[in-house]
This record gives sequence, C-alpha cells and structure tokens, in this order.
Amino acid sequence: MSRLRALAGPAAAALIAAALAGAWLAALGADPVAALRALAEGAFGDSLALENTLVRAGPLLLVGLGVALCFRCGIWNIGGEGQLLAGALAATALVTRGFGPDAGLGVLVLALLAGAAAGAAWAALAALLRVQRGVSEVLSTILLNFIAALLVAWAVHGPLQEASGAYPQSDAFPEAARLALLPGLTRVHAGLLIAAALPFALWVVLFRTAAGLRLRAVGLSPDAARYAGVSPERETVRVLVISGALAGLAGGLEVAGVTGRLFENLATGYGFTAIAVALLARLHPLGVIPSAVVFAGLATGSGAMQRAAGVPSVAVQVIEALVIFLSVGFALPRRDT
Amino acid sequence: MARVALRDIRKRFGATEALRGASLSLEPGSIHALLGENGAGKTTLVRTLYGSVRPDAGEIRIDDVPVAIDGPRRALALGIALVPQHSMLVPALSVAENLLLGEPGAAWLSRERLHARARELLAGSAQGIDLDARAESLSVGELQRLEIARALARGARVLVLDEPTAVLAPSEVDALLRHLVELRARGMSIVLISHKLEEISAVADQVTVLRAGETVASQALAGMSAAELGRLMVGDALPPAGQPPESRPGPPALRLLGVTAPGLHGIDLEVEAGEIVALAGIDGNGQQPLEELFAGVRTPEAGALEVLHAPLALLSGDRQRTGLVLELSVAENLVLPEAAQGGAPPVFHAGLVSPGELAAAAEAAIARFAIRARPSDPARRLSGGNQQKLCVARALRRDPGVLVAVNPTRGLDLAATAAVREELRAQARAAAAVLVISTELDEVLELGQRIFVLFRGRLLPVPDGEHTRAAIGRRMLGEAPG
Repeated sequence: MSRLRALAGPAAAALIAAALAGAWLAALGADPVAALRALAEGAFGDSLALENTLVRAGPLLLVGLGVALCFRCGIWNIGGEGQLLAGALAATALVTRGFGPDAGLGVLVLALLAGAAAGAAWAALAALLRVQRGVSEVLSTILLNFIAALLVAWAVHGPLQEASGAYPQSDAFPEAARLALLPGLTRVHAGLLIAAALPFALWVVLFRTAAGLRLRAVGLSPDAARYAGVSPERETVRVLVISGALAGLAGGLEVAGVTGRLFENLATGYGFTAIAVALLARLHPLGVIPSAVVFAGLATGSGAMQRAAGVPSVAVQVIEALVIFLSVGFALPRRDT
Repeated sequence: MARVALRDIRKRFGATEALRGASLSLEPGSIHALLGENGAGKTTLVRTLYGSVRPDAGEIRIDDVPVAIDGPRRALALGIALVPQHSMLVPALSVAENLLLGEPGAAWLSRERLHARARELLAGSAQGIDLDARAESLSVGELQRLEIARALARGARVLVLDEPTAVLAPSEVDALLRHLVELRARGMSIVLISHKLEEISAVADQVTVLRAGETVASQALAGMSAAELGRLMVGDALPPAGQPPESRPGPPALRLLGVTAPGLHGIDLEVEAGEIVALAGIDGNGQQPLEELFAGVRTPEAGALEVLHAPLALLSGDRQRTGLVLELSVAENLVLPEAAQGGAPPVFHAGLVSPGELAAAAEAAIARFAIRARPSDPARRLSGGNQQKLCVARALRRDPGVLVAVNPTRGLDLAATAAVREELRAQARAAAAVLVISTELDEVLELGQRIFVLFRGRLLPVPDGEHTRAAIGRRMLGEAPG
C-alpha cells in the first residue's frame, strides 16, 4: 500500500508534465500528440535509440545516486558536474600519460579507481570546508564545478593535449584500456553493468548497515543523532566522499566507455540533471534507475521531436524543466505532521 | 463585570489531560499573573484564549457574552492578542512597514503618509523607535514593544504575554514592566505568565494559580511578597506522592568536579552506585547546559566530568527533538546508539544489520516496557508516553552504570509516569547511579534520596531533614536556607 503511494507521486509528476508539455507544444503550433510520440520513439523506439538512452542514463544514474545519498543526510551536493570532471580528468591522465599506448585491462581498472578517488577528493574539499569552516556545501560544490571545468580546459590545452596538437582534446584511450561493448550491442558498454549494480549495493548500505542508519538519522534529525552519539560532521564528510566517488566513477566510465578521450564540455548538465534524477526517485537508491532512464530519454528523444514536429530545441528544454519542476513538487516524500 | 471569563476549561492531548477544569477571569485595566509549575497548563490555558487551542469543554465569555474562539484571527477580532516571546515581525521590513503590514491599501502609501499613519497607530506607545529602522536591527525588548503596539493598532483590549521577560536583559525587563503598567492605566487587560515572582509582585494586581491543569487559587495580589506567591505556587500542604527508595550507599559512579560552562558555575556533585540523586529547580537555571554536558555535545570550560562506572546513558529532556529521530522506526531508534559506535552483535555483524535480530530486539523492548507500537512504526506515530518508554528502553539497553534522566515524566499520564519512575528505582536497586534532573517538585521528592536545587547555575544542597515542598521551594526561588 505505502509502496504504491510512493510511486503515485512520481507518476503524477510525469503525467502532468506530459499534459503541460502537450499544451505548450500546441501553443507553438505543433501537433502535440505527434511531437510527444516522436519524443518517445526517439528515446525508446528502436534498439539504437534505446542504446543511446541507456548510455546517457549511466552517468545520470551514478551522479543521481550520490546526490540522493547526500540529500538523505541533509547535504546539498550540487557539485556532481565538477566531481564527474575530476574523475574523468584523473582517469585520462593515468591512461594517456601514466601508461600510454600499451595500457591494458589492469590499467583500465586502475583508471576507474583513480576516477572514483579523484571525484571523492573533489567532494572532500567541500566537506572539509563545511565541517572545518562552516562554508555552505551548496556554494562550495557549485563553485568547485567551475574550477573543475577550467582545470579540464587547461589540461586539454596543455599537459594532456593530444600528441598531434590539432584539437583541444586528450589522446585517445588505447583500445585495450577502453570498456568493451556488451555482446551484440553497438553503444552500450560494460560500464553500464557497474552503474546498474551500484544502486542495489547502496540500497543495502542505506537500509541494512549501521553506517546507513547513522546517515539517515543525521539527515532526519541532526540533534537527536548527535545525542545518540553520532557525529554529524563525520557523516557529512563520509557521504560527500561516497557521493563524489560515484560521480568520479561516472566520469571515468564516460571517458573509458563512451568518448574514449577527454575534452571540454564532456559533462554538460549531467551534474544538474542528476539532482532532478534524485528528486524524481524520491531519494531512493533503486528509484534512481528508472528516474535516470526517464531523463536520459528526454535528452535523446529531443532531436527526433525537433525533426518530426518542427519545434525548436528550446521546447525540449522547457519539457525537461517541467519534469524537474513537477518532480520537486510531487515526488518529494511528504512528511506526516 | 469581567472583560473575559474562562470557566472550567478542559483539554486533553492524546493520553494527557493538560487542563482539568481551569478558570481565569480578567478585569478591565488589570495585570493578571498566571502562575504554576512546568506542565501545570498555563500555556495551554492562554492558548485557548487567543484561539490556537480549542478546548474540549468549558465556556469562554467576553463582556458576559459566550463566544467560540476558533483561531487567532477570531481572537483578534474579539480584541485578544498574543505578544509572542520571539518576534513574528518581518526582519527585512522597516518598523513602519511592519506596523501597517496587512492593512488594506498600505502598500501604496508614500513614505510620509506611511510614517504619519504609523505614528498615529503607535500613539506614543513605542517612543524612541526609529520608524525607518529595519525590524532585524531592533533589540528583543524593542521588538516586544513593537509587537504590543501592533496588537493595540489592531484594536486589542486583552494582551497575552507568555514569559516575556525570560528573553530580556534586566534593563529591558524594567522598561517592559513600566510599559505594562501604563497600558493598564489605559484600560487594557493583561495576562502575564512569568516564573519570576519578584516581577509579578511588583506589577500584577490579580493572580491565578494552576496546578496539574486545575485552578487552585485566584485572588487579588494585594501586596503579597514573592515568597508568599512561591508558597501559593508549589503548595505547602500536599505530601509527596511516593517515597524515595532506601539509601544503599555504594562506590562513587559519577563525579562532577567544579564543572563550569555557560550557565553553570562550579558544579560539584558525586553520585554513588545504587542511589538516586535529584536536582530540583525552575527551568533556565542550568538544566540545559548540564544535559548537554551529559549528552557529550558540550565540554566543560573548567572542571571535570568523570564517569567511574561506564557506560553513562542519558534520558533526554526533549524526546521529540533530541531523544528520538521521529521519522525512523521504533526498532531503528532503539539501536541508533549502537550504530553510532559502529554496531555490535547480535543486531549488527561487521556493520551489517541482521533484520531478524533487529526485530527481535525491538519486540523484546516493546514487551518489557509495554510500549504500544510495532517495531516498524515510525517513532512519530507513538503517543508521548510510548515515545518516552522507547527512550527508557534505549537508555537501559546498554546496562548503564550511570543513568541521567531529565524531566523523565514530562507530559506523561499517571500510569506512564508511575512506570517510568519505578524503572528508575529499579535501576538504582540494580546498582546503577541515577541522577534525576527535574523541574517537577513532586518528582524530585518522590525519587531523590539526596536532593539539590539548581539555582542560577549553582547547586544548593537540601539537607535530609528538609525534604519538603516548602524548603525546596524556598531554595528554588533563591532564598537563603533556614
């Protein structure tokens, strides 16, 4: 019963978003039914569309998972973008500069771990600022996004730029150090299996361990948690580090699985869409899976909708904004009073 | 004819009867003091007056006409206003804007007309306050005067002040009291709740005393001293409800050596295994910092707190804020302190929860302490008494050598009160050192083998032969013993 009710909020948000989007499209002079159908087909209509959506859902899922954990602990991590970039930067540096063309599977594993570690370290900066200096993590994580983006820009123009020096991008990962595609598929790589498994692991952590209980207690009532002997400061650092590691891993998977190299604008918007992913999932680790697929589908389906219905690309951004807005309104768990 | 009369008001919150036939009658042009121990029902009674609590039974008459007050808006229309302890003004708006907030058309007035209208409303009652100052720049005392002015501007004839002086500096207290006397001269009826009996004997002309939700006295003040008021409040005649257990001295288990913190001045105290020591005192005399020391969220600035018989368990005085995480389940709340330590068997194995063992632990606690709940219920859904029993169950889970209980029965009904007190005695019999910090005199008398009074951050001993309401009450008011 309560599980059904938990699903009702996100479902209502999606339906109302679709209705409002239809009205908006009609107002633009497009056929709303055809446009929305094109959107859905562009996202899920054939195997290529589906693969594109899943590939895009991977990083959204990982970053969104971290954001959801942080929100559960009362921490507003708006820095998924920067943590993802830090992870991509570290993984790329390790593969292209640390090992070079003969890098293999072992290096790939190391690179993913380095990505997670770099993301964790990036988030730890915000955690330490908050715990030691009382700086709001909302501000520090946002600002660290810009620093990470500039660091990536500097790296691909400088120390990590490809040998030919033609474009501001890194050397390509050697084939052996890239994530393999899943058998019979053209886009979906093995990293997505890791991404899909982690929500289950973190569900266990959140609901079946002492650490998860501490984390939830701090998020629900820092005072009562402190009186029970839990240190909110320590939990803050822990959850931000885990969240950063997930985003950093997403960055590593992105360069090793999808792009094969590092360049600027690698992660445009992932960090922010991930917040909506977490909210639509009602901060539940397993809810993040469908939620990430929905937002990824909106992004991949938008091109098809543009072509089929002749609506400008901003129309899709309006729909995305509607879903985000409504998921905040409808999908947040309601407190009994 | 009374301006306002509350007659035989009754109100029940869940299992707790907050008011059991309380009455209050306000004359025009008077300051009426409302007295009573913590939990006597003072705040609930005035809430029925300004409409934020609806009584279950009883009658409210205004100018001898029966009325139903279904909300603060209705109360204001009837001329009754609350002056909140902590200001409800909009911090970023100016004094003049706050005064006219909500008045139709005020948003379109020029600054000059706004000020003219504001001065008209103030009519001299908030002199010296700059109309252009932002509310956030005012002192607490100025904010209170502004709140009063705003209430008058809206036509209030009855003002309710619930412990207004608790948040004020001494000079501001004098200013507020002078202002109240002026208002009385202008015909206002004022209800004043305060624990500071000197203030009451200085300005009030009527006094009503509540005890356990009932009006036990209502009379003219006529020059009564603070000491006489104190006796009226605690009541000489009542014997304590039960007897403390026999003293069985053991080795010292808890020692405070010159503990000093904000609000505490050199507390020396030793509690032995197997005894119950009770600290009486009116709220605000150091209970809060003392509890925070025991909770480990505050460290002494000087002195030392030694737990010789670990572990120390704390039964927090505020079960909803610091005692429980209300959104977590009964079972999760029960094991949260263990989880804070990393988790120990049988419920935790290497940090992992064993769901079966967790449910079994919760079922055992529910059975032992007669908690009416299921292990998976959120703590929020439990009644106050069951929440407190859950807190007790949690405190006793680790077999404490020292148990500190702060207001352990606040807000509980008779049966739950008896159960909690009996559990504290049982802990002392089982050789725990028990320290009870309570603002309820009956509780202190019923539990304490040795009794101290906490007054302005210091401990005043109460000799064994003087364990009476009168002797303790005198010390609670800071009078010299003897």
